[in-house]
Amino acid sequence: MKKLEFIYEDGAHKWAVVARDPEKPNHLIDTNEYLVLNGSEALLADPGGMEIFSAVFSAISAEIDPYTIRHLFASHQDPDVISSLALWLDFNPDLKCHLSWLWGSFVPHFGGTAETFVAIPDEGATISLGGLMLDAVPAHYLHSSGNFNLYDRKARILFSGDVGAALLPPEESGLYVENFDRHIRHARDFHRRWMGSNKAKLSWCERVSRLDIDMLCPQHGAIYRGEDVKRFINWFADLDVGSGIRD
Amino acid sequence: MDIMDDIDQISSLHRVVKANEDIKKVIRISSGVNLVALNAMLIAKRSGERSRGFAVVSSELRLFSRNLDIAMTGLGELIFSLVRDAATMQRQRQQRSHFMTVMSRNKSMRKWVEPTLARVEARMGSVEEEISRDWHKLRLQLNRVLQLCESGRSLSRSAKIEAVYGGDMSATLKQVANQIEGTVDEIFSTLKLLRMQLAE
Ligand SMILES: [Fe+2]
Ligand SMILES: [Fe+2]
Repeated sequence: MKKLEFIYEDGAHKWAVVARDPEKPNHLIDTNEYLVLNGSEALLADPGGMEIFSAVFSAISAEIDPYTIRHLFASHQDPDVISSLALWLDFNPDLKCHLSWLWGSFVPHFGGTAETFVAIPDEGATISLGGLMLDAVPAHYLHSSGNFNLYDRKARILFSGDVGAALLPPEESGLYVENFDRHIRHARDFHRRWMGSNKAKLSWCERVSRLDIDMLCPQHGAIYRGEDVKRFINWFADLDVGSGIRD
Repeated sequence: MDIMDDIDQISSLHRVVKANEDIKKVIRISSGVNLVALNAMLIAKRSGERSRGFAVVSSELRLFSRNLDIAMTGLGELIFSLVRDAATMQRQRQQRSHFMTVMSRNKSMRKWVEPTLARVEARMGSVEEEISRDWHKLRLQLNRVLQLCESGRSLSRSAKIEAVYGGDMSATLKQVANQIEGTVDEIFSTLKLLRMQLAE
């Protein structure tokens, strides 16, 4: 059963992750859902696919009042990111979903009304969570053409969506990256195939290396901490992407 | 219980699709009636005064085929809204089952999930009502179409009688009359079969 684990706590300001679902059928990619809490308001980043909704919902509700979730953040349009939208809205029709303007007329195919969506412009935006400022940081073309990371400057956490993702074998599926070199082998093919543009990648590396980041949290795989964050950014900068097809 | 619901749902969508196929078939055949009737009118015209009766019957048949077309379009519209509602129902049932799963994982989830379930079930209830209203309308409309077909059948019988008075054209007119009879009978039996299936 999926569990909610706290990865950052400073009073009423917390980050938690729902990760590693042992009951999840193998044909679904494993995903991490991140919950940012600030007092009585919470935001759920990349709520996940429809098929794992009951696991995610149960894991969160076992620890906190699910009505505190007022915002959903969708890094991009993929089904593993946001196909659970209709179910979340069944639960709370007043939820707001923050999403790139580019996908504003696509994601409603998963559910929601015109009032549900808050469009994020290409240059990014700030989302206020009970006074805590969260920045939607542009990460376009990595891999989606309308794509955002979410940065919490107070917690120094970057939710990076598919960037930093790794497809881990069961024996190496710890929540945190412990050995960067071993770990990154499982990230390499994913990035080469899914990330489409070297130019977009370099601009992201440049933008993100200016931020103070203690934890880089991807939607799949393990969380990078401390020095591994810089290691990852450097590794990614050097990787030739958009070249995952063998010819 | 949920599995039974799913089976119910699938068979209801299946029924709609099946009914739609029959309706499409009838529409196809009825456009044939139009052509046959037109053909009959032309032949009657050519054979002159002696087949005036046949010409009258043929033009009535054209009118019948036009009315049938309109009636079948009405049936098609009902089918369209049934498909839409059956699909909505299916989605609602799926959503409901996700929340049932949450509850079955942990009884303490009841307090979070119950209001949602109530909302989803209320929605399902109103879609269900809409669906049974539409099935009812579909049956009524089908009865109207069958009545129309009865008049089509008696027209085809008249065509056969009138063909006898066709003089040297009699053989050709008889052939046309048989063609008309065959087509109307085919429509009639398809619709009757459909009505039987809908009554189940
Ligand atoms: Fe993705
Ligand atoms: Fe993903």
